[in-house]
Amino acid sequence: MSKSSRKIAILFILPVIIFYLVMAIYPFVSMVYESFTNLNLTMPHSGQFIGLSNYFAIFQDPLALSSIDFSAMVVYIAVPVEMVLGLVFAYLIRGLKGERVFRTLFLIPMMIPGIVFGIAAQMIFNYLFGAANYFLSFLGIQPIAWLGQASTAQFVIIFLDVLQWTPFVFLIIYAGLLSVPQDLIDAAKVDGANGWQAFLHVEFPTLKPLIYVALIIRIIDALKIFGKIYMTTWGGPGTATSSWSFYIYKVGVSYGWDIGYASALAVILLIVSTILVNILIKFLNLGEQLGISKET
Amino acid sequence: MRPKTKRRIINTIRYIFTILILVVFLFPAYWITITAFKPSSEWNQWPPHFWPYHPTLSNFFGGNSVSSIEGILPFLRNSLVVSTAVAVIAAVIALLAAYSIARFKTGGMGLAGWIISMRMLPPVTIVIPLYVIYAKVNLLNTWTGLILIYLVPAIALGVWILITFINQIPKELDEAAKIDGASNLQTFTHIILPLSLSGFAAVMVLTFIQTWSEFLLATILTSNSAAQTLPVYLGRFITGYNIAWGALSAAGLITMLPVIVFGIIFQRYLIRGLTFGAVKY
Repeated sequence: MSKSSRKIAILFILPVIIFYLVMAIYPFVSMVYESFTNLNLTMPHSGQFIGLSNYFAIFQDPLALSSIDFSAMVVYIAVPVEMVLGLVFAYLIRGLKGERVFRTLFLIPMMIPGIVFGIAAQMIFNYLFGAANYFLSFLGIQPIAWLGQASTAQFVIIFLDVLQWTPFVFLIIYAGLLSVPQDLIDAAKVDGANGWQAFLHVEFPTLKPLIYVALIIRIIDALKIFGKIYMTTWGGPGTATSSWSFYIYKVGVSYGWDIGYASALAVILLIVSTILVNILIKFLNLGEQLGISKET
Repeated sequence: MRPKTKRRIINTIRYIFTILILVVFLFPAYWITITAFKPSSEWNQWPPHFWPYHPTLSNFFGGNSVSSIEGILPFLRNSLVVSTAVAVIAAVIALLAAYSIARFKTGGMGLAGWIISMRMLPPVTIVIPLYVIYAKVNLLNTWTGLILIYLVPAIALGVWILITFINQIPKELDEAAKIDGASNLQTFTHIILPLSLSGFAAVMVLTFIQTWSEFLLATILTSNSAAQTLPVYLGRFITGYNIAWGALSAAGLITMLPVIVFGIIFQRYLIRGLTFGAVKY
């Protein structure tokens, strides 16, 4: 690389690097430091170094454990449902006349801000006038206080996540299906494969990397769930729908201003997310996709 | 049964299921939209009205700030200012970085991966330390404070999209320009810049949408109408027992409408951006 090329390469990358050093690295480092202190914004002389106490406290805090539990629940219930439904819908509309219109309409839920979704849910699942109870009344089911009981409130949050993000999984798989060459499927059928075998041996192997990508992105995002909870259940009743992110918010901001403890919780969430993001980058084959891998 | 008849029956069943599924998935958006035009007598009617029997605009222009969204203007202004600023600044910084990475492989995979991972990290992890920092440097409840933090994911998204755009510009053009005696800077301004304008626009739209919808950071880092954005305005609307559902829905409609319209128009880029290029339409 010539000297002038190197100069411009560095000059152009500098703004990003300086920006991230100030706005991301510095906050992250200060968060790791604060996680070893008892900093509390309501207490003027807090901020002493207390070692790993905040981290040990997490394991004795039933609220922290239950919020990690609920986040895990969103991951292992909502995400698989989204994956299966996304796959089914992709097959359902493929080849139908008007599939582009259906695809576009199906995009809408994932564009709606989570907080607006929350408002809709407040109305639809309202005990007194909600449409959900109205539909159930046709089946002879008594009105349900959806947001008032732990299990139904958890159902509502998971249901909302499914409504919003199934379209995302659908889009990825649908695009993958479009890229499977039709001759390949025809060839398999000529060789005597039935529809199911063609799917299993021809389409599924092509889709597999995409399914992984969708799965990892969904897991990373499911850990961030916040707006819908804030707007519908506020983590309740009790702590039934308090997610990991929501609990950090409660500890760090809305109730306690307990920055030290919230930082410890956030550091763990950050580590989990970073691992997942790195797995994602591997699966995306980013180096090749962006033309910067070492081979080229 | 003849195969043709069989296919027709199967297709009919597929249409029925497709439409049923769309009805379920679009129901929340539909409910927000109709409630925004319902008069207060219909907000909590039983059985619920599935369309406004007496449509009204009173939720938008009701003359007071409790049962209508008369007070929405400052929040709308804040959302527009913050989202537009983020869109422009992110696109500029990202274009420079993307040029450097795409053409000169600056920093290699390590740097690219690091920048892109900024897009995926949970916002709640950055907001806790940032609150403490902002309190010290007086950035709480300001446009600047919001713009700075929103640039973190926005630039990451922008760098990623623009690298793919710049990669599509043939390198021969750069080389031809160089042979004609152009400097690197001239190559950038005369070849890369004009040819990546559509990518530049895509980044602006996507980062605008992303910023417009953000709630968690905004609700923590702002405290009144000087800087609060629309999603925060929505959150503050629910107070007491008598919630003004119509007004709340009207505000919700105004919050989601630009995102949906922009999103549908630019769906190609939206999908690419959201899936990190795993999907190309």
